[in-house]
This record gives sequence, C-alpha cells and structure tokens, in this order.
Amino acid sequence: MLRYHTQGYSGYGVQYSPFFDNKVAVATGSNFGLVGNGKLFIIDIDNQGRMLETKSFVTQDGLFDVAWNELHENHVLVAQGDGSLRLFDIQLNDYPVAIFQEHEKEVFSCNWNLINKQLFVSSSWDGTVKVWTPMRQSSLTTLTPKPMTAHNSALSSKDIPMSNQKRHTSLSKNKNCIYQSQFSPHDPNIVMSCAGNSYVTMFDLRQPANANQYSFMAHNGMETLTCDFNKYRSHIIATGGVDNMVKVWDLRMVRKMAANSRQPMSVNEICGHDLAIRKVSWSPHHSNMLLSTSYDMTCRVWQDLSDDGRRPTGKTNSIDPTHGCRFIFSHHTEFVFGADWSLWGQPGYVASTSWDGDVCIWYAFAR
Amino acid sequence: MSERLTQIKDHLISAVSPSVQDQRADDVVIIAAHRSPIARGFKGGFKDVNSDYLVHQFLQEFFKKVPSSLSENKQLIEEVACGNVLNPGAGATEHRAACLAAGIPFSTPFVALNRQCSSGLVAVNDIANKIKVGQIGIGLALGAESMSKNYGPKALGNVSAEMKQNKDAKKCMVPMGITNENVSHKFHVSRQSQDTFAAESHRKAERAISEGLFEDEILPINLPDGTTISTDEGPRKGVTADNLAQLKPAFIPEKGTTTAGNASQISDGVAAVLLARRSIAESMELPILGKYVACQVIGVPPEIMGVGPAYAIPKVLKDCGLAIEKVDVFEINEAFAGQALYCINKLQIPLAKVNPRGGAIALGHPLGCTGARQVATLLRELERGQVGIVSMCVGTGMGAAAVFVRE
Repeated sequence: MLRYHTQGYSGYGVQYSPFFDNKVAVATGSNFGLVGNGKLFIIDIDNQGRMLETKSFVTQDGLFDVAWNELHENHVLVAQGDGSLRLFDIQLNDYPVAIFQEHEKEVFSCNWNLINKQLFVSSSWDGTVKVWTPMRQSSLTTLTPKPMTAHNSALSSKDIPMSNQKRHTSLSKNKNCIYQSQFSPHDPNIVMSCAGNSYVTMFDLRQPANANQYSFMAHNGMETLTCDFNKYRSHIIATGGVDNMVKVWDLRMVRKMAANSRQPMSVNEICGHDLAIRKVSWSPHHSNMLLSTSYDMTCRVWQDLSDDGRRPTGKTNSIDPTHGCRFIFSHHTEFVFGADWSLWGQPGYVASTSWDGDVCIWYAFAR
Repeated sequence: MSERLTQIKDHLISAVSPSVQDQRADDVVIIAAHRSPIARGFKGGFKDVNSDYLVHQFLQEFFKKVPSSLSENKQLIEEVACGNVLNPGAGATEHRAACLAAGIPFSTPFVALNRQCSSGLVAVNDIANKIKVGQIGIGLALGAESMSKNYGPKALGNVSAEMKQNKDAKKCMVPMGITNENVSHKFHVSRQSQDTFAAESHRKAERAISEGLFEDEILPINLPDGTTISTDEGPRKGVTADNLAQLKPAFIPEKGTTTAGNASQISDGVAAVLLARRSIAESMELPILGKYVACQVIGVPPEIMGVGPAYAIPKVLKDCGLAIEKVDVFEINEAFAGQALYCINKLQIPLAKVNPRGGAIALGHPLGCTGARQVATLLRELERGQVGIVSMCVGTGMGAAAVFVRE
C-alpha cells in the first residue's frame, strides 16, 4: 500500500489521470470540508513507489469532486462548495484557466463524458444537473429531476413528503441535493443522477425537456448518495445509499416498471457496510467487480454475483457467506469519501481518499 | 457550515436507528378499518342472512366512510382478499358477488383465503405483501363469517381413513375444546384463573360499549326486514368469575376446565381493512390510520394449537427488532381463556395491555372475520406512534401475529 498525507485537508474525491499511469488528482477541503479553503492536489508516483505532490491549488471553498479532462492531459476540473466549477492547468500556477459559475449551492460532483469528450456534467445541492463544455462559460443545458410522479396517471401529481415527523425535518433539506451525476460510458447522450429524495434519474439529452427523463426510488426513501454505470454491461448500474446498501439495477427492467409506475426491483442487494455508502465504482477491467466506500471507514470490493443471469431473485449476493465481498481495505481512520480504479497496468489497483487526509493506493485482489 | 454538517449527520443518523415508526414512501399504510357489529350465532340478529349478504351491506356502509376520491373511483382498488373459514370454498363465489353488488368493478380481482381463525389477518397480510412488492397500490382485506349458516359437523370436511390412522395426521382432527383442555392441563392453567379472565373480558367489553368506544369502529348492518343492528350482542352485564364457576365443563365431564363461559362465542360478523402504499395515500390525500409493519405465522403441535401466539409473537417481533416491552397493546384472540392465559403468561405480557376492550369471549369469534376485526379494534386502542400486535391461535396447529403502528 502507498500512502500520502494531505496535511490539514480532508479528501473528498480522487481520480487517476487518463493520460499518465502515475498521476492522480485529489479534491480536498479543510476542516473536513465543512468550512474554509479547499485544495487540489496533483500527486505522482515515482519509480521507487513514493507518492509525491507535484502541484497543488488552494481554492476559496472546499472541493467535493474532481475530473480529468479527457482531451487535455494537463487539465483537471473540480467541483467547489461555493457553486462554481474550476478548470486548472497543472502546468500553470495558482489560478484556474476557466471558471464555470452557475450553480447556486455546493457542487457535489463533476464527470467528464468519455465518448463525446467536449462535454462534462455537474450536479449540485441546488437541485440541478448542468451539462457544460470547456469552450463556453455558460452551461449548455440544465437538467432538473422532476419530483416523483404520482402512482396512477388518473391522479394529480404531487410532491410526496419523505416524513412528517419533526425529527426528520432536517432530512428534507437534503432532499433536493443531487449528490452525483454521470455520463454513460456507452452512450454520450445519457446522464444519470442520484439525489437526497432517494430517486435515481436517467436523462436523455436528445429528447425534449419534458420527456427526457425517467426515475425510480433506489433506496426506500432514504438518500441515494452515489451511482455508477457498469463499464461492460450498458444496462447495469449500481447505487449506494443511507440504508447502508449497495444495489445493482438492470435499467431494462427499471424502465419497464417505471413506465408502469411500479417500484422496480434491484437485481442485486449487497448489504455489507455498517454505515452509509458514499461512493460506488465499477471496475474498468471486470464486468462484475464493484468498489464501494463508506462512512464505516472502509472500502470494499464486491463481486456482483447476479451477473450470470441464472438467478431470478433480487438478492443474489445474500446467498454468498461473505455477501460476495472480495476485499476490505481498512487502513483509513475516518469516513472514506472518494475512490477510483486505476486504468493502468495490472488490473485491480485503487486510489482512495478519506477525511483522515490520507490518499492510499492499494491492490484490491490481495489475498 | 451548519448545513453541510447537518447533511453529514443525516447520512449517519438515519442509517443507525431505523425504527418501526419511521415513515417511508413505500410503507404499507391503513386507510380505513371497520367492522360490523358481532351477532350471536344461531339466535342473534344475523341468524337468517348469509355471509355474502353481510359483506354486501357492510361494504356499502364502508365506502361511505372512505374519502370520495377513492369511493367514487373503486377501480383504484386493485385487489380484494377475503378471509373466510366455513363457507364451501371459503366463499370464493358468493363474496366476489357481494363485492360486485357493493359497486366494486369487475376489473378488481378477488381472492378467498382460509387459514382458519387467522383468515382475516392473513387477508391483511396478503394485501400488504402485494403492495410491498409493487403488484398493487391499493387493496382491500376482508374477513367474513356466518357461523349461524355454516358451522356444524360438515365444517371439518372429508377426512380419509388413512389420515385418521396416521398418528400425526389425526391430531388435526382433535376438537378445539380438547386442544384447550390439553394446554390447560399440560401448563397448569386453573379453572379459576380462566373464569376470572373470561369475566374480565365481559367487564372490559361492557365498559367499552357504555363509553361508546366502538362507535367509530362499528358500521351498522341493515337487515332485509328493515331493522338495523349496530351494537355487539355478545357482552353480558354482571358476569363474574363466581357465576362462571357454576357452569359445567363442556368437553371433559367433571375434570375439564373449559366451559361455555370461558370459551369464545359462536358469532356472525364482517370486518374490512383498506390498505395502500404510503406514496399513493399521500398523493390522493387519503387519511392514514396506521402502518402495517410485519406479519408472521408459525406452526405448533395441532393437539395444543392454542399455544400459537406464544411462538408467533416473538417471531414477528424479532423481524422488526422489537421487544415485548415496546408493544403498547396486544389484541390476542380469546379462542379459549386457557390458551390465551398460557400465551400471556409465557410471554410475560402485563394483563392491562391485553385486549383492553374485551376479546372473543365477550365479543364473539366469527372465525374468518376475527383477524380483520382485531386490526380495526387495535388501531383505535393505540395512541399516535404506539405499537400494537394482533395475534391468534389457529386450528390444526399454528399461531399468527402481525405488528401495526398507529399514526
């Protein structure tokens, strides 16, 4: 395991460079990202296996996510707490080369389109998802997930409160928060988002605004904090939420059931973490390997046992004694927020970052 | 800063402490729960009408109690399940007919269920499960029984000689009264304590009637002769343990402890529970009476079938992570005072929490109706936020129990 400590900063997001096999970008915030500056670290791994900071940029507010530009090896984008997205050139010092300021509240995620590499997408606590291109200062389009629609088309549509209990009132504040949005790696026009109202929404940028989305409740009304497209099976996604569960969904079934206003069933439920899931990420090298990070201070690697297509139930990993868990990384000493698989070399290397300030690089299939 | 901190706190807290009182959009909630008055079998007000007549009359009254957004759009009810024990085929034909007569469209399917004395509760369970998996959004659970018309020797059905010779199988034919004698003898439940319990059931039911506590729960039934029945016929004034002690044992001469006074009455009645997914109930602005949490049924030896609740209740409580002490009211069916007392003592339930408005000894036990009747009673006994259990023993050796929360 390799380790780098970001003195005084807590990690929120990490991503391997798509151009260099030894470079990662890390988004962090001071004071656990609750208040104060943020800092973007560019960390290289040298031939001796040491992690060295080669560049850093201090920002005015905490940074919650990071995405490398898929077209330019020196450009890296960050999602900032003041509602802006900033594009930095790691050859330059101090200041960003572009600022994208439209979101009204914290930006929690940013993601670069892997096919149409001119585009990136961001999501914010203001309840919107925005699609951008680095060539323009203003966004190309703003996507707003609709509140859930009523079950029966004969009935008037109405926003359903999550709870009427007083002690849950603070929950409704997070309800609009869109924790993550992501472009499909299979279709450059498909965007997925997940929100505090528990809903995962799929957008199609080719459709007109009133018909461009369908959504489903992923975590029983509890907040859905993260989602990821499977890189090999284009209709498979994973989500993670406050119910401590990772769920795997087949979008073909979801779409069919959502069209009939039915609550879709997941094809797999992975119940192994002790606290909420903060990040899920499918392996770039396997169609059935999944990485998750959690408030329980661990990262876990799961084998999705539902991928053989033979088991009809929605709970396939529950038949495995270990729920399909293949590795537990337990070196972090605080909530783990970010993680990314390495695209490079031997499959199975992972970078993770946590509130403890550590950036760790570890091998997911060690025994 | 405080908003970001609160958000992180919400991620941690809502994960750590889920409770049965939590309200989620995919909960199964109860929109309405009512029952007919319970009439005495063979000589009471309903003795000349069939169970389908009762269902028809009752549903007409029931839909008057449901908001018009639903009662005028009955096609939104996507399933009717009706528990019944004694009608041939559990009343599959005549109760479907009664639903159609009451204005439920033919497009709403109907299923007749029979799990003996728990049939009414099993109907609730069946509808709730269908809502949980997304098969339906709104469903109606019924329980209906006319013991006047259908109780008798034929109730047992045809049992082959092979079953009667098999030592395990023949236990299913042990008369219910004898099963209670077995429980009372084996676990030392005295005649005196049974009579005291029975007298208490009458006292509680009488008090509930005189205080008008059943008014909201009971819907009147109009009879063909123009009369209307709107109160229970079972409870009697002035029943004491002493005068119950005068009665002769009904099943075992001399040594037996089960009498007509400390066993449930033969009765006729109907009850209904309307359930929906919470998201739908809220989008239609339907009133929410309570929440269905969980249900379990467990098998026990047929010859001591009365112990059922003592095993079913812990099983369902384990599912919801609750302890006995966290439950505020227990509706445990009083098939017989002996078996009910055994279950209460075994689980160490305070007597004050059991059947606060009387049980089947006073009110009567129209077999298929009872489970749904108990749900209607329970929800009115609970305060907002309190947890209640409906449980009963089941002939041929089972116990059933379900957990509800009042909202």
